[in-house]
Amino acid sequence: MTFTRRTLLAAVSTAAILAQPIAAAAQELPRNVRMVIGSKSTGGDTYQNSAIVADALSEHLGINIKVDAVGASAAFKALDRDSRGTTIMIFHDQSYLGHLYGREGYDDPFATYAIGPTVAINPGNAYLVPADSPYQSMEDILTAAENGEQVRVAIQPGGVSEIGFSAMKNAAAVRSPGSEANIVAVNTGSQSDKNQAMWDGLADVINGSIQANEQFTQLEEGDEKGMRFVWITARPATLEQAPEAGMGDTDRAALMQYASPETSVTLDGSEDFTFDKEFFFLFNKEMDPAIIDQIDTALTEIFAEGAIQDRQKASFFIPNFLPSDEAKAHLEQKRDTYSKVIAEISGES
Amino acid sequence: MFEIITPLFLSLIVGGTFIGIIFGAIPGMTATMAVAVCLPLTYSLGLENGLALLLGLYVGGISGGLVPAILLGIPGTPSSITTTFDGYPLAQKGEGEKALRIGIVASFVGGLVSLFVLWLFAPTLADFAIKFSYVEKFLIIFFALTVMAALSSDMLIGIFSGVLGIFIALIGTYDISSGGNGKMRLIPPGTEYWLETGFSLLPVLIGLFGLAAILEQAELGVPRGFNKDEVKVGGKSTFSFSVFRGQIVNLVRSSGIGTFVGILPGVGGSAASILAYSNAKTFSRHPETFGKGEPAGIIASESGNNGLTGGALVPLLSLGIPGDSTTALLIGAFTLQGIQVGPLFIGNNPDTWNAMIFAMLIANIAMFVMMYVAIRYFALVVTIPKHILFPVILMMCVIGAYTINYGIMFDVWTLLIFGIGGWLFVKLRLEVAPFIIGFILGPSAEVYFVKSLESFGTLSIFFTKSWIAMVLWVLIIGSILGSVVLSRRAKGQPDGV
Repeated sequence: MTFTRRTLLAAVSTAAILAQPIAAAAQELPRNVRMVIGSKSTGGDTYQNSAIVADALSEHLGINIKVDAVGASAAFKALDRDSRGTTIMIFHDQSYLGHLYGREGYDDPFATYAIGPTVAINPGNAYLVPADSPYQSMEDILTAAENGEQVRVAIQPGGVSEIGFSAMKNAAAVRSPGSEANIVAVNTGSQSDKNQAMWDGLADVINGSIQANEQFTQLEEGDEKGMRFVWITARPATLEQAPEAGMGDTDRAALMQYASPETSVTLDGSEDFTFDKEFFFLFNKEMDPAIIDQIDTALTEIFAEGAIQDRQKASFFIPNFLPSDEAKAHLEQKRDTYSKVIAEISGES
Repeated sequence: MFEIITPLFLSLIVGGTFIGIIFGAIPGMTATMAVAVCLPLTYSLGLENGLALLLGLYVGGISGGLVPAILLGIPGTPSSITTTFDGYPLAQKGEGEKALRIGIVASFVGGLVSLFVLWLFAPTLADFAIKFSYVEKFLIIFFALTVMAALSSDMLIGIFSGVLGIFIALIGTYDISSGGNGKMRLIPPGTEYWLETGFSLLPVLIGLFGLAAILEQAELGVPRGFNKDEVKVGGKSTFSFSVFRGQIVNLVRSSGIGTFVGILPGVGGSAASILAYSNAKTFSRHPETFGKGEPAGIIASESGNNGLTGGALVPLLSLGIPGDSTTALLIGAFTLQGIQVGPLFIGNNPDTWNAMIFAMLIANIAMFVMMYVAIRYFALVVTIPKHILFPVILMMCVIGAYTINYGIMFDVWTLLIFGIGGWLFVKLRLEVAPFIIGFILGPSAEVYFVKSLESFGTLSIFFTKSWIAMVLWVLIIGSILGSVVLSRRAKGQPDGV
C-alpha cells in the first residue's frame, strides 16, 4: 500500500514536472507557424509586407514562419480552424471594409477574431485619369458631377478599392446634394482590368496605387498608356514619412500635391476624407492571449532595434507598429468613420 | 551585364530548371507551385540570382509536364493536356521514347521562339496587347472552346460534355478579383463551406486523367509484371529528326500561338496549347490521325505551351501585368526587392532585363540537355509493374491535390469525386477532353462575356468592336466548319480523341 502511494506520488510529481514545459510551451508560438494572408497574390503589398514581418519575427524568436498567400476566404477559414497559434493571419483594412460593404465571406473581424498589432501602412492608394483627360484635379471631377456630367470610376467593388469611390460620392453629396448620382462605378477586377478599362475608354478615373501606376505617369506625351494622378488618399502625416525620393521619378513633394490638404475630398464639409491602408495581425479568438503578448513583445523589440523600418521604407511602406490593444482601438475608430461614409451613400453606389 | 553571370547565377538557373522539371513531371505539381515554394528564397539571393532560380523553375516546370502526359496519360500541368491526346497513344504503341524526344525538341523550339520575340519586341507587343479588351478576349476564349467539337469522336456528345464542363466550372463564388459580383451560385444547399471557391482545376484534372485511368485499369484487372509489347525503350522506336520534316510551319505557328496567348493577360496558359493543337489539326492534311499518336499533335501542344514562357513575360516586364499564373508569382521576386515593374522597367533596368533574357536562354538549353539525356530513364517508368506504379501515382495525385491550395482536404475529395466521375464518363460515353477544356476555359469565358455586355450594353459589340474581333470571327467560323467537315469524314471511324 505504502509502495503504491509512493509510486502514485512519484508518478504525479513526474507528470507535474513534465507538464510544466508543455504548459509553458502552450503559451508560446509553436516552432513552425503558418502565416496566412488575405491575398492570393505574391506580387502584392500584403505578401510583401507580411514577408518582411515574418522574416523579422522568425529571426527574433528563432522559429519558422511560412507566409501562405491563400486569399481572404481561405485565410479566415484556416484561422477559424486553429486556436493553437500554429496559424496566424496578416491582412489590411479590407477585412472590415468587406464586412461593411456586405461582401460574402466577410464576418465582422472585431467580433469574430482577436485583433493583433498593426505593423505598417501602404500610403499608395490612389486615383488616376488618362494623361489626356480634361480633368486636371479632383476639383474638376467633383465640379463635372455637379454640372450633370457622368464620371465613371473603375474600382474593384467591396473593399479598399471602393472606399475612395464612396468618399468621392460622399464629397459630391456634401458639395451639391444629388450630384453624387453622376459619379458611377465601373466594376472591374484586378489592377490590370482597371488599367484596361481606362485604355478602352470605359472609365474616366481608375483606382490604382503609387507603386503600380507611377511608371505610367512618366510615359512620353502621346503614349496611349499615359496616366496622371489626381488623388492619393493617404493622410498627409503618413505620406510625409515616405522616403524623400518618393517612388520612381515622382518625389515625395510631388506626391503630396495629390493628397490632403492640397487635394481636398471633403468628408463633411470641414474635414478631408483620408484613408491609410494599414496591415495588422488577426488571430483565432480562442488563441492563448499569452501568444498575442509574445508577438506584441517581440514586435516592440524588433521595432525598437529599427532595422525592420529600413526594410519597410525601402519597399515604400510606412512603419506603423501599435501593440494589440492600441491597434484594436485605432482600427475600430477607423471602421466607425468609414461606416458613416458608406452609410451616407449606401443604396446609391 | 557580364559581371552578373557568375557561377552561382548559372548554377541557380540549371538547378532551378532541374527542380522545375521534377515538379512538372509529378502529376499535381506545377511550375506555379515550384515558383511559389522557392519565392521566399529570392530575397536573400538578390534580384538577378533570384530571377535566375525562378526562371529556371518556370521553364523546367512547364516542360516537365510532358513526361507524365506522354508516359502515363496524365498531364503533369494543365498546359500539357493536349500532349496526352497524341503522346499517350504513341507511348501505348511502344514509342514512348520517340514521343518524349519529339515533345522535348518542340518545347525547346517553342521556348526559343518566344524568348526571341520577348527580347526583340516586348514593348511593341505590349502596346498591341492592350488593344484586346473584354470583347476580344472573350472571342479568343470562344475560339479555343470551338476545339471541343474537333476533339470529339461524336460532335454532339463532345459539345454536351464541354458545356457540362463549363457548367461545373461556374460552381462557386463569382470572384470579385476577376470582375465578378462576389455572389455564390450553383452551390447545392449545405455545401457552401466547401464549394465557396468552386472545384480547383488541378484536382479535377488529375482526377479525370489519373485516377479515372487507374480505376479503369483496376476494373480490367491489373496484372503483376508488365506487358512487354508496350515497352520499347530504344530499339525500333528511336527518334529521328526527320519526324520534323514538313512540321516547320506547325512548329513556328504553334510557338507563335503560345507566345501570343502568353502576351494577353488573363487568357490563361492552357488556352495556348489548346489553340495550337486545334490549329495543327485544322491545317493538317491528315486530321483524322490526331488523337491516335500523331507526332504533329505533340509538336503543336509542346511548342505552344513552351511558347507561353516568353510571351507571358511581355506584359509583365512592359506593363507590370503578369501574363499567366506563374508570372504573377514572379512579380513577387521584384516586389520583395522593392523594385516596381511597369512600362519603364526595361529601359530603367537594362542589366536585370539582359540577365533575365540570358537566364531564359540558359534555362531552355539546360531543359533540353537534361531532359534529352535523361529520356531513357524517364521512359523506364513504363517498365515499372502496374501493381506498383498505380499506387505510387495515386499517392502522388493525392499529395498534389492536397498541396495545391496549401493543404485543403476538400481538394482530395475533389480528386476522388472527379476520378470516379471520369470513370463513369467512359461508361456513359461522355468525352473527357471537351469536358476539361470547358472546365478550364468556362470561367474566363463567363467573365469576359458578362463584362463585355456590362461595358458596351449590346451583343452587337462582339461583331463591331474592332478589326481584331472580325479576324477572330473568321477563325472561329473556320474552326467550326473544319470540325463539321472532319466529323463527316470521320463517320464510321469513331476512334478519335
